[in-house]
Amino acid sequence: MITREDVENIALLSKLFVPEEELDGLTRSMQEIIDFADAINNAPTSGEEFDNINNLSNVFREDEVIPSYPVTEILKNAPEQAEDHFLVRNRE
Amino acid sequence: MGSIADIHEKLVTKQVSCTELTKSYLEEIEKANTALNAYVCVTGEEALDTAAAVDKKIAAGEEIGMLEGVPMALKDNMSTKGIETTCCSKILTGYKPIFDAAVWEKLKAQNAVLLGKTNMDEFAMGSSCETSYFGGAMNPFDVNHVAGGSSGGAASAVGGNIAAYGLGSDTGGSIRQPAAFCGVVGLKPTYGAVSRYGLIAYGSSLDQIGPITKSVEDASIVYDAIAGADRRDSTSVGAKNGPTYPQLNNDIAGLKIGIAREYLDGVRDDVKEAVLAAAKVYESLGAQIVYFDLPILKFALPVYYIIACAEASSNLGRYDGIRYGYKTAHYNGTHDMICRTRSEGFGGEVQRRILLGTYVLSAGYYDAYYKKATDLRGTIIKAFNNAFENCDVILAPTVPMTAFEKGHATSDPVETYLTDICTVPVNIAGLPGVSVPCGFNAKGMPIGMQLIGKSFDESTILNAAYRYQLAAPENFKDTKWGVKL
Repeated sequence: MITREDVENIALLSKLFVPEEELDGLTRSMQEIIDFADAINNAPTSGEEFDNINNLSNVFREDEVIPSYPVTEILKNAPEQAEDHFLVRNRE
Repeated sequence: MGSIADIHEKLVTKQVSCTELTKSYLEEIEKANTALNAYVCVTGEEALDTAAAVDKKIAAGEEIGMLEGVPMALKDNMSTKGIETTCCSKILTGYKPIFDAAVWEKLKAQNAVLLGKTNMDEFAMGSSCETSYFGGAMNPFDVNHVAGGSSGGAASAVGGNIAAYGLGSDTGGSIRQPAAFCGVVGLKPTYGAVSRYGLIAYGSSLDQIGPITKSVEDASIVYDAIAGADRRDSTSVGAKNGPTYPQLNNDIAGLKIGIAREYLDGVRDDVKEAVLAAAKVYESLGAQIVYFDLPILKFALPVYYIIACAEASSNLGRYDGIRYGYKTAHYNGTHDMICRTRSEGFGGEVQRRILLGTYVLSAGYYDAYYKKATDLRGTIIKAFNNAFENCDVILAPTVPMTAFEKGHATSDPVETYLTDICTVPVNIAGLPGVSVPCGFNAKGMPIGMQLIGKSFDESTILNAAYRYQLAAPENFKDTKWGVKL
């Protein structure tokens, strides 16, 4: 059973802000989705472990420095920037 | 019907110039897009620039490639340098990537004419396209019905003849389901066949880019053009078995087509009848139909939602209002700024999935949900491998129903998830699947069937789909919209 406190806690972990008036509705809808997900607990335990898809494996390569994108280009999409850095103000 | 080969032929024989062709697509987009809402951004200027370059080559007597000068569209989760890419989310409004997605790099190098970016469910999370920040894309067969999702805009544009083809992405059915709803062909390639570099991530172990087209040949041509290994996507290995186009029109006598009974459970009668009629067509072509059971399928849907949401909760952690996109106006402290930015920037369905994903990954629930789901993923993969020991291809419905009326999908999230029941197993197992039109219901809405293949065996499913298309051309219908060629 999922509680309002659980939803508040998950929202905090998710960095989402849930207004007080939406908390009850969201708790109900989370409960429905989790009930649906609970169906997997009726599945037989087969001892299969998931290892990879289509035999794909890790790719290793030399730690070489290669050119990347210019800082000025990257910063063009930032809501705020200063002196070649992303700007984060504490208050607005 | 405006296939890629037709367009190529018309350009090469100078029956139409690329500029005239591009203009006629742009004019038809102008007329149809108010009703279809297929495009969220139209790139007319870029399209005409490319068209002029292609015309110059043709005038100079140079040879042009099959996709050169063919007007097409990209789903709005594929990065396009300097062109707004939003994932149809408020949180990415104004974001202009500084690089191109690998698939677009490949097509751009062949002078593909980009008409614009197509509508989708926000961050590809949805089955009706209605979670889009820009409102849903509509069905070209009847605009009171949805185009499906999440690549609804691309399917609507292709079905509405306002793009010769489109690229979509498929995490749990997002290429195949809208293709089925809009009466077009949609191929979800094998996981690893196509580079995902520059595709904005949803569920990274499930996502794959593929074509949405008018015909099976077109799907084959576009797939061959975008497949390939790419060092910037470590999961990409390319089309291991070579190009598919030369394999079309192979004889299918003796091909073993499997039907898993579980795929037909809960499927609406009109859809079931159309799929079984297609099986009869295959028998008349000399294929052999074998029935089998795949009981593990009934767990595929919760397994999918647990894995997809877990991966999404991690992938969407990057939207913080600092580096790109939307940022809240008023806040007190950095944590508050990030939380407000995300809550104001993400829509309801995206927030639900982030919350579910965070829940199944959190301490105390990880083993019961995420670990259990990934173990079951192993079981599902093994079950498909076993099934393919007795058949070459699996035939199934793409969706248990036809396109629903607008507004229907948004009322109940769990009921909406059920529409994905036939498409998600392919993503869980990393297999290729193609949706092909196989009939119409009493209201004239298209029905799609799905051919599922072994890993990297796109050739076999596309060939089987092509043979069906030749035998049942009446199921590949044009709509009243768009460019008439």
